[in-house]
Amino acid sequence: MTRELTKVEFTNLKKVMYPALKATKAQIIEYYIKIAPKMLHALANRPLVLTRFPEGVEKEGFYEKDAPQGTPEWVKTFTRYSETANRNIHYIVCNDLDTLLWLANLAALEIHMTLSSADSFLKPDLVLFDLDPKSPATFGDAVKIALQLKQELDALGLRSFVKTSGKKGLHVIIPIVQRYTFQQTRTFARDIGTKLEKQSSLITSEFSRRPKPGVVFMDYLQNSHGKTMACPYSLRATPQATVSTPLEWSQLKKGLKPEDFNMFSVVLIEKEPWKGFSDVKQDLEVNSK
Amino acid sequence: MRVPKRPIWTGTITIGLVNVPVKLYRMIFDRGFSFRFLHKQDSQPLKYQKVCIKDNTVVPWEDIVRGYEVSKNEFVVFTKEELEAAKPESDRRIRLNKFVDFYSIDPLHFESSYILAPDKNPEAYTLLLKALEKTEKAAAGTITLRTKEYPAIVQAHKGVLILNTLRYSYEVADPSRLDELKQLKEPSKDELDLAAKIVEDLSGEFNIEEYKDAYKQRVEELIEKKLKGETIVIEKPEVKEEAKELMVALKQTLEQLKKK
Repeated sequence: MTRELTKVEFTNLKKVMYPALKATKAQIIEYYIKIAPKMLHALANRPLVLTRFPEGVEKEGFYEKDAPQGTPEWVKTFTRYSETANRNIHYIVCNDLDTLLWLANLAALEIHMTLSSADSFLKPDLVLFDLDPKSPATFGDAVKIALQLKQELDALGLRSFVKTSGKKGLHVIIPIVQRYTFQQTRTFARDIGTKLEKQSSLITSEFSRRPKPGVVFMDYLQNSHGKTMACPYSLRATPQATVSTPLEWSQLKKGLKPEDFNMFSVVLIEKEPWKGFSDVKQDLEVNSK
Repeated sequence: MRVPKRPIWTGTITIGLVNVPVKLYRMIFDRGFSFRFLHKQDSQPLKYQKVCIKDNTVVPWEDIVRGYEVSKNEFVVFTKEELEAAKPESDRRIRLNKFVDFYSIDPLHFESSYILAPDKNPEAYTLLLKALEKTEKAAAGTITLRTKEYPAIVQAHKGVLILNTLRYSYEVADPSRLDELKQLKEPSKDELDLAAKIVEDLSGEFNIEEYKDAYKQRVEELIEKKLKGETIVIEKPEVKEEAKELMVALKQTLEQLKKK
């Protein structure tokens, strides 16, 4: 009598999902199994949005907000009426290993999460600075801006966390108390952006005109309800199977390459740079005075 | 007691020009026992198949239509599409048009109860709730759920709005037409006095907590006993090679998570 290790029944394990690396679905599931202890706490209670690639990353994937048909009863969901879709959306919530593995088995390679939790959907507990370098600006430029941003946040007494987006940019995140509206966090992010804009010609946070090429675009509008970001440790649908990887601030220096962090290398990292992330709850206005 | 998971319906209460967006949760849960059928020889689960009475062949789902039995063995046949087209349109509205005394409704007409929760505009919800509490009235109207339009009554109950679907008058039998009930004799005064005394002696407050399902309890005890002894484990098809490696990784992760 072997006790079942997981409720999930894995299927199509041999299917190649990242053809450039010949990585199979079994390897993707293995990645999520191994990273789960570092990943799960950051996902807890957050409505998730998936990008699924049932035929692998070279074929078209699709965005999925609503829990698909056949979602097992033990998978938690969060129901919210969508004005645009004019119906209820049952967001998946991943609070345990089984749900994470179920997502991996669905070929939900990319797992995105909202900046607020299900119990307070309209009051975010994260402020996101999405630093996106527009070519010819580089990842190196995003690193420079991120370090400036950190200085600014440090001066305000705010602890911030940084991760690669898994694509070209960086995400800087401030965990906050669930007290502010998205409008307030948006204004906060925009004010910081405007301030940095004055210090460096390399950055723009302006929304009304198209981001100029050659600058790092800081999209403060990401701080809106329903918007999502790649979860810490989510795989991305890039040919190199890159991972949105939490980093220590000291790792942010010249020569850092986001493509060094992929499904095979990230599991070998012993450090847990975002340890305690989910326990940090900061006050925006008190600190900013 | 259980907490309902998902709303089964979302829509809007309309009273004249006032709209109150609401979600409907089930409030009533039947808690019986459900057993699965197993094969006696090897205790493996059994599944249902539709079998043709005439030639005993298994009929696949796509070859099944529905028949309404007009008289014995005589059917009017419907396709799924035809029935679909005939369904009443649920316009996602609970139309309320009259305020009544809740206790004036005969309890025999109550069918099921649902929790109404606010959706989007909690102010409108609270206003309706408070207005019903203040006036001690309930609101009557209609709701369409799946294929049926129901009379409905919305009441304030312990700080929430509860919707009760009601049965139509023709869905409740008329007892006065039963022969046994037609010629009832009057009891003698002595008999009636004695009976009334017994009633008085046994009078008390009604408390639903005093009632337990004895059969359910006995089966639960039996399950406990059987669990301690021998149980039957369903054989799973054997795990393939690739999955075995995953199981090794999984064991490690589960141990790590336990330490956290």
